[in-house]
Amino acid sequence: MRVDYNISDKFDFGLFIPAILLLIIGYVAIYSATISHPTAVGNFEKQLISGVIALVIFFIVYFIPTNSFRMLSLPVYITSIVFLLAVITIGKTVSGQKSWLIIGPIGFQPSELAKLGVILALSAFLSKKNTDIESFKDIIIALLIGMIPVALILLEPDLGSSIIFMGMILVLIFWKGISLFGLFVVLSPAFVAIASLFGTYSLIGSLIIVATVLLLFRKDLFFSASIFALNLAAGFFTDYVYTAFSPHQQKRIQAFIDPMSDPLGSGYNSIQAQVAIGSGGLFGKGYLSGNQTQLQYIPEQWTDFIYCVIGEEFGFIGSLVVLVLFTSLFIRLLKIASVTKDEFLSLVVVGILSVFFIQYVINVGMVVGILPVIGIPLPFVSYGGSSLLVNSIMLGIVANIYRNRKNYT
Amino acid sequence: MNSESFASVNRSVLIHAAIVIVFGLIAVRLFSMQIINQEEYDRRSAGNSIKGIEQVPLRGVFYDRNFEVMVSNTPAYTLRILPADYDLKLSPLLDKVLEMDSGYVDEILEKNKIYSKFVPLRVRRGIDFKVVSWLEENSEHLPGVDYIVEMQRGYPADIMASHTFGYTKEISPNQLKQEKDFYNPGDYVGHNGIEKTYEKLLRGTKGYNFVLVDSRRREIGKYRDGSEDKVSIKGKDLVLSLDADVQRTAEKEMRGKRGAIVAIEPRTGEILGMVSTPDYDLNQFSYVTSKDFLDSLYNHPDKPSFNRATMSLKPPGSTFKMLSAIAALDIGVITPQTTIFCGGGFTFGRFFKCHGSHGAVNVFSALEKSCNTYFYQLIYKIGLDKWKEFCDKFMFGHMTGIDIGEESKGFIPNSAYYEKIYGPNWPRSIMASLGIGQGEVSVTPLQLALYTALIANDGISYTPHVVKGYLDEYTKDFIPIEFEKIETGIKKTVFDVVKEGMFLVVHGAGTATSLKVDKYTTAGKTGTAQNPHGKDHALFVGFAPYEDPQIAVAVVIENVGFGGTHAAPVAKKIFEAYLNKEKKSDDKMKTLSKDDRIAGVNIAR
Repeated sequence: MRVDYNISDKFDFGLFIPAILLLIIGYVAIYSATISHPTAVGNFEKQLISGVIALVIFFIVYFIPTNSFRMLSLPVYITSIVFLLAVITIGKTVSGQKSWLIIGPIGFQPSELAKLGVILALSAFLSKKNTDIESFKDIIIALLIGMIPVALILLEPDLGSSIIFMGMILVLIFWKGISLFGLFVVLSPAFVAIASLFGTYSLIGSLIIVATVLLLFRKDLFFSASIFALNLAAGFFTDYVYTAFSPHQQKRIQAFIDPMSDPLGSGYNSIQAQVAIGSGGLFGKGYLSGNQTQLQYIPEQWTDFIYCVIGEEFGFIGSLVVLVLFTSLFIRLLKIASVTKDEFLSLVVVGILSVFFIQYVINVGMVVGILPVIGIPLPFVSYGGSSLLVNSIMLGIVANIYRNRKNYT
Repeated sequence: MNSESFASVNRSVLIHAAIVIVFGLIAVRLFSMQIINQEEYDRRSAGNSIKGIEQVPLRGVFYDRNFEVMVSNTPAYTLRILPADYDLKLSPLLDKVLEMDSGYVDEILEKNKIYSKFVPLRVRRGIDFKVVSWLEENSEHLPGVDYIVEMQRGYPADIMASHTFGYTKEISPNQLKQEKDFYNPGDYVGHNGIEKTYEKLLRGTKGYNFVLVDSRRREIGKYRDGSEDKVSIKGKDLVLSLDADVQRTAEKEMRGKRGAIVAIEPRTGEILGMVSTPDYDLNQFSYVTSKDFLDSLYNHPDKPSFNRATMSLKPPGSTFKMLSAIAALDIGVITPQTTIFCGGGFTFGRFFKCHGSHGAVNVFSALEKSCNTYFYQLIYKIGLDKWKEFCDKFMFGHMTGIDIGEESKGFIPNSAYYEKIYGPNWPRSIMASLGIGQGEVSVTPLQLALYTALIANDGISYTPHVVKGYLDEYTKDFIPIEFEKIETGIKKTVFDVVKEGMFLVVHGAGTATSLKVDKYTTAGKTGTAQNPHGKDHALFVGFAPYEDPQIAVAVVIENVGFGGTHAAPVAKKIFEAYLNKEKKSDDKMKTLSKDDRIAGVNIAR
């Protein structure tokens, strides 16, 4: 083991500083969003406690032996599955979703833990010596590892988390080195499944596109046919699942496909969020002076819509600072993933990057009105203990990997 | 490709590019929202959280011609429900507390479902103080239920004038659609009578208090400390032509009877009093009107909602004899000296009876004695169509154009009408009855009053009206409203003859000598309209003083008998009420406080 007394060689400030700044900005915004709210007024203090715990956990994770991550991958994954099963059966229903597991005084969301479980398990599988990402069998196994938790999360139903998982699985397979054709095989069923939600014509259309592309790849007939059969199954399975949903759940999916179909629900939030941000102007309305925020025009603003507090009260400048912090964090994560020689650890870092990045894209995209409303928190900034804890564990893992990046080959 | 491409530089570049592109996209979007379109968003944000609370202005009050307050504003409690916070389980309890039929509250909520849940609904106006204290005590168990103080109409002068004043009522969806720039759902507007005709003067100008509200529309403070608030301006106070004493007397005299009285100042066309009975209590409309009351109003056999003064059609009977006399004198088919012999009737195809044998009568004695024989013959001298021309001059068969409510035209036949029914050889004997105001002729009490006023003022008057003008809301100056002049174009000498005949009805040996009093002279004419369905209708028209007419009156009482017996004594009381009182000074006008002009009452919307 090399001894190096340069602290920045062991501790990555490029990772830690943006994250801690985002956390602080989050506190500032949560305080503003909850100060005059009758029921959320204690949330700031709760988030402070979560922050302290998160910091402690970050350093615990930072210091544990790096090789324990690979050993922990299967146990964490199985625990995640167990918790996900538990939450579907005995979970607490919050706004139509069974995503909370209450154990004593503590409630947490198993889907947050499952992010870690899937990143570790999938990275472990993909980095196994005999795994061939180009083999049909291994792709299926990889997809199964990822999609089992997704299926359980969809049953809650939590569409937002499922999207994060699917994106993260794709990025991991992509990072592992899947070919263009392989990527197509993975992506096409999802494409057909989404198309089927829009009706029979779009289902048929999507199947024709898939068939055309398959012919262009000129693979052998049996292989092409089985992939087409997979697509067909995806299309009809989606339709089957959709009709099995209750009308209430169908309505939620409908609102996702067409947000304007529910202008007073998710449409209302989206409009108010945009008004909040747009009216902020260059420098914002001043701290604690945003009328959209202080008058509670945006429901539960301290969670998924936290970014509009910043947009309204700190304006374009404040919003841009947050974007820059996130972007520098992502680029730093990508850099660590690239320089880490160990395949498993590199995959883990990319998985963590993808989870942060997808949440950020969906959350900010929703708040500024370029993406539909999907309930996903903004990492480090939004109020929420489970999310903050898991994010700090993931950040701790990356910091740990950075600390030991030279010890693994 | 194989696993050699793991974490390749290309893949890293792709992810790097994705991160930078996303940053760019969001930054551009933010720039467009926060820098380019900032004003638009700012406007929407401000509109979001600033709420204008309407300040409902006080309605203008009604003064009588001597500035006695006839209709005022009095505070009353209104129970409201905010549907967003309200628990439907409370409805049966509220029904009971309000002493309403069960289902009353739910029905109102159901009717207003189409409006915002965050706008309070008026559930009942004029609630009892006991209910208010009950609300206070139990407010914590009554989410979404509150009360406010609102102004409602008060009638302090002990005068009904139901059909004349009219009442206000919640605006209809139809009217709301047409005038949505001024009204909001739940606003009260004049529904009939003066309240309707003069709505635009009475309603005033709405004010607004701007407050900051949160997303649930709860008020949390004033916007810019109230610097943008607009004060409501009270509606204009109307000065009516009505005389409170005349009106009170007329109402008192008509109590328990069916019929109408209209009294007019001949020189101006100003209506001094107007009564239609049975009438109804306008106070009932100040509150949420009870169903029983509306039932009694619309389904009663005597139709209290029907304004008999302007709408009931009756043959005018002998009161119409002046019209024949005027026509005959004006076109010159008779002179004042022309005599006709009355032997107890007149034969034209068949025998037409007179109520006595009056011997040789001229126009004076014919009016004095109400000799039918004279007037049976007169109409043949005039000719039917010429006679109708004179009816037209006095607005018979036409609407007078009075400034309130609905009005009937009445009917005056002409030869074309009879030709249509009976052919060109229609029995000319029909005409005889028309000469004495019987048969197919029908008129309203208002038309009779105008006719009397025109006779009294030698053929010149104005469109009858109940409102003289209004007071400027700032200066309190009286601003008159102008009405059209009516000119019959008939010679004054003709009226002198007819008026003398009417003078003799009271002061000679006529049919209304009971009206003779010492203080002033009176002229008039009684009438009895035959009624095939029951007792005859009693009529009287007249004016006083004879030398300088100040008041002309028409009295119609249904199903009581002779006009001289039943209608004339009522007219006497009205003359007395108007002419015997000490003149009130106009100084009252100056004592009106200028502070009256601005006042309002909060109605949160």
